[in-house]
Amino acid sequence: MRRNAAPAAKARPRRPLFQKYFAVVFAAVVVPLLASGASEAWFGYQDQRHTLSMRLRAEASAAAARIQGFLDGIPSQLNWTVQTPWAEGVDERHRFDVLRLMRQAPSIAEAILVDGKGVERLHVSRTDPDVEMSGVDHFTDPAFSGARTSHLWWGPVTLHRGSEPYMAVAVAGPRAAAGVTIAQINLKLVWDVISAIHVGETGQAFVLDGSGRLVAHPDISLVLGGEGNPAVASLRALQSAALVGGAELVSGVDAEGRAVLAAGVPISGPDWTVFVEQPVTEAYGPIRAALWRTGLLLLAGAAFAAALAYWLARRMIGPIKRLEEGAARIGAGRFDQPIELRTGDELERLALRVNQMAEDLALSQERSERISRLKRFLSPQVAELVEREGQADLLESHRAEVAVIFCDLRGFTAFSSQAAPDEVMGLLAEYHQALGKVIVSYEATLTCFMGDGLMLLINAPLPCADPAAHAARMAIDMQGAVQGLIARWRAQGHRLGFGVGIATGEATVGRIGYEGRIDYTAIGRVVNLASRLCSTAADGQVIVDPATAAALDDALAIEPLGEKVMKGITQPVPVFAVTRAVAGMARRG
Amino acid sequence: MFNLRFGLIALAVLASAAGFAQTPDKVHRVGLLHVGAPDTCILSPGFEQALARRGYIDGKTIVLDRLAAGGRLDRLPGMVDQLIADHVDLIVSCGYPAAVAAQKRAPEIPVVVMRAGYPVETGMVESLAHPGGHVTGLSEVASDLSAKRLQMLKEAVPSLHTVAMLWNEGDLAMSMRCTAAQAEAKKLGLVTQLLGVRAVDNFADAFAEMDKHPPDAILLVADSLTIVNHKAVFEYAAAHHIPDMEEMAELGHIGGLLAYAPDQGEEFDRLAELTDRVLRGAKAGDLPLELPTRFRFTLNLKTAHDLGLTIPEAVFLRSDDLIE
Repeated sequence: MRRNAAPAAKARPRRPLFQKYFAVVFAAVVVPLLASGASEAWFGYQDQRHTLSMRLRAEASAAAARIQGFLDGIPSQLNWTVQTPWAEGVDERHRFDVLRLMRQAPSIAEAILVDGKGVERLHVSRTDPDVEMSGVDHFTDPAFSGARTSHLWWGPVTLHRGSEPYMAVAVAGPRAAAGVTIAQINLKLVWDVISAIHVGETGQAFVLDGSGRLVAHPDISLVLGGEGNPAVASLRALQSAALVGGAELVSGVDAEGRAVLAAGVPISGPDWTVFVEQPVTEAYGPIRAALWRTGLLLLAGAAFAAALAYWLARRMIGPIKRLEEGAARIGAGRFDQPIELRTGDELERLALRVNQMAEDLALSQERSERISRLKRFLSPQVAELVEREGQADLLESHRAEVAVIFCDLRGFTAFSSQAAPDEVMGLLAEYHQALGKVIVSYEATLTCFMGDGLMLLINAPLPCADPAAHAARMAIDMQGAVQGLIARWRAQGHRLGFGVGIATGEATVGRIGYEGRIDYTAIGRVVNLASRLCSTAADGQVIVDPATAAALDDALAIEPLGEKVMKGITQPVPVFAVTRAVAGMARRG
Repeated sequence: MFNLRFGLIALAVLASAAGFAQTPDKVHRVGLLHVGAPDTCILSPGFEQALARRGYIDGKTIVLDRLAAGGRLDRLPGMVDQLIADHVDLIVSCGYPAAVAAQKRAPEIPVVVMRAGYPVETGMVESLAHPGGHVTGLSEVASDLSAKRLQMLKEAVPSLHTVAMLWNEGDLAMSMRCTAAQAEAKKLGLVTQLLGVRAVDNFADAFAEMDKHPPDAILLVADSLTIVNHKAVFEYAAAHHIPDMEEMAELGHIGGLLAYAPDQGEEFDRLAELTDRVLRGAKAGDLPLELPTRFRFTLNLKTAHDLGLTIPEAVFLRSDDLIE
């Protein structure tokens, strides 16, 4: 049983308690932390995005207002040239008005003054000679008709010399006779406005017209480079995204290839949209910083939780480990080291219980060891009895009046040298079996076996009131038991006999031997005498010494066999044969 | 002891070498190639200041190699070779001959041009928007402006009939400009007296011609050659009471009667911007050429007074700068 249990106890449990405790404590701290961190990050992100959207829209509106301001300045300048009706030719007043206009508004590259009938009167340019009364008819010119119907007309953006963006603006006077002034605006001058707009650190503004042409950008080469530039195409993509997205921020790539967020605001007058853009990295900078902060806090929290969980789990598991080790010690039979636990909780109580159990186990083991020791020379029930009565001191050495019984088989040496080993051992087993029953029933102490010879004690260590008589009765029963066997053995052709000798007297009794092999025996003259008496006994005889014979009662018949000289004994000893008394038969001797 | 000292010196040298290697920004070398006199056009402080506004301080964050041919066109190829030998990163040129010399002789070096006529017409670039090649810079509307200038001259001097045009025969851009002016002169009913010069000594011939047939005004077609000799022309004009029209604002400031020209401050600013873009890695051929947007009309009232001219009101209205 223990052999099977040991490897299982050593193997790691499938789900160790430490892991469970750790997981539970860790989760208990980290899950709420994560939940709050994540929700904070999410709502923070939403708020920031909303703020960002508002801010970029505000920036776009501000930028649009500045562009609008630039554009609105032009018609108000042009208005001066359409105040007076045309007479014949070109009058000084109109000429001076237009020269003043060119001085005041540097963005006007050329101005054409048309009379009420749509005929060109004066053409003034910064680069070309002035032309008076060219007679060119502008009546069907959309600039003329547009200005006549709505006083102010914005033309499309055109490319001067395939590069520079120009736009026509036409203004009509309050009176039809004052005619219309058509001006070509050099949109490069919007650059002054657009390049002054900064959104955050690196954000900028740009303007696209309705057809997706780049009108203004801080990088003027993009405006001048015109069509086919992939950088302009990406700005156009932003514009179409803004058309779909409505008031939402749009994200895309700007002319420099940066990922940007952009917001567009249309401006009145020309079909233009002013965009402001800010690189995503910059726009989301604060959000990112906040997320990083939250992330770091979460990490720190998780690390703290892990440390806490580890510490708690260790505190839980440590005592359990000590208990486990203690249990293993107890299992290995070492009861001398109690489990030391000072946790002050149920575990300490458990440890105390285990220690108590170990103590009990130690006691019980000691007792069972004692019993097994006693059982070697006492019959099991006697051994149990001795143990239960707590009379372990019975085994202590002392002098006592004992009856010593020796017995052996006659002719056994000759038999054993001829018979097969199996036969010898089988015969001995039968013999011992038969004797054992008698010995146990008489509660005699078996001190040793020597092949077919046995030595038994009565009144040591177990007290007996009448050791001699008890020994004699037992010897007669032993004879009875063995003689039954001998009859069978003889029938098998084995010439064997059985003799018993008994001597009674004082002897020293106690344990002899060494650690691990302790016997209980008696030492003294009486032992020697009993051995000699046994040697003298013939088959079927029980020979006793005078001391034994004197102690026997009437139930046994005693027959004196005279004095016999025995080896090791100086004087001849009178010996007697004992048999069961036959009813009515007079006692002899 | 010797070994220790040697080791320390070696360490110091290594450390300084490592430090030098770590200098983050390369100091660019830029050649300024001008056909005319030193201290004019791109060699004037105006351009240096425009560069400085973009962080290019001569001698610190940029090295400027200034070369002025002083009107001697034959010196230009040698100057370009010298810039190539000096491993300049970029050439800024002023004047058409300088631009052509740089474009032809240094095909590996980006060139930013100024006062090189209308480069599309002279075949220097494919178009303003997409120049291609290795040239960008400022385009002129000069051929148009010549006509404009004649008209302005006529407006200032209503009795104008004959105009002497002094121009450099060796400069294609100037020839084109002259042709445009001639056509415009015809429209205005003016007679042109073409006085082409090729070398400094030709001016005497031109003056001799004007002595024979005195013009009502002089139009000095500005290029390096004529500008280098502007003093002689101004002196001749003053001595003979002949009004003049100049193509550069600074000539109006120093004695010329009238000058109509693109705003030089803006020109330098744009030129510095393009220089900066190319130095920061843009391909010159990808940067569109820019036309001037702002123009300045300079009227020198002192010269007008010396000539005994009465300036009409319209001319006053046009003028951006009045020199008194």
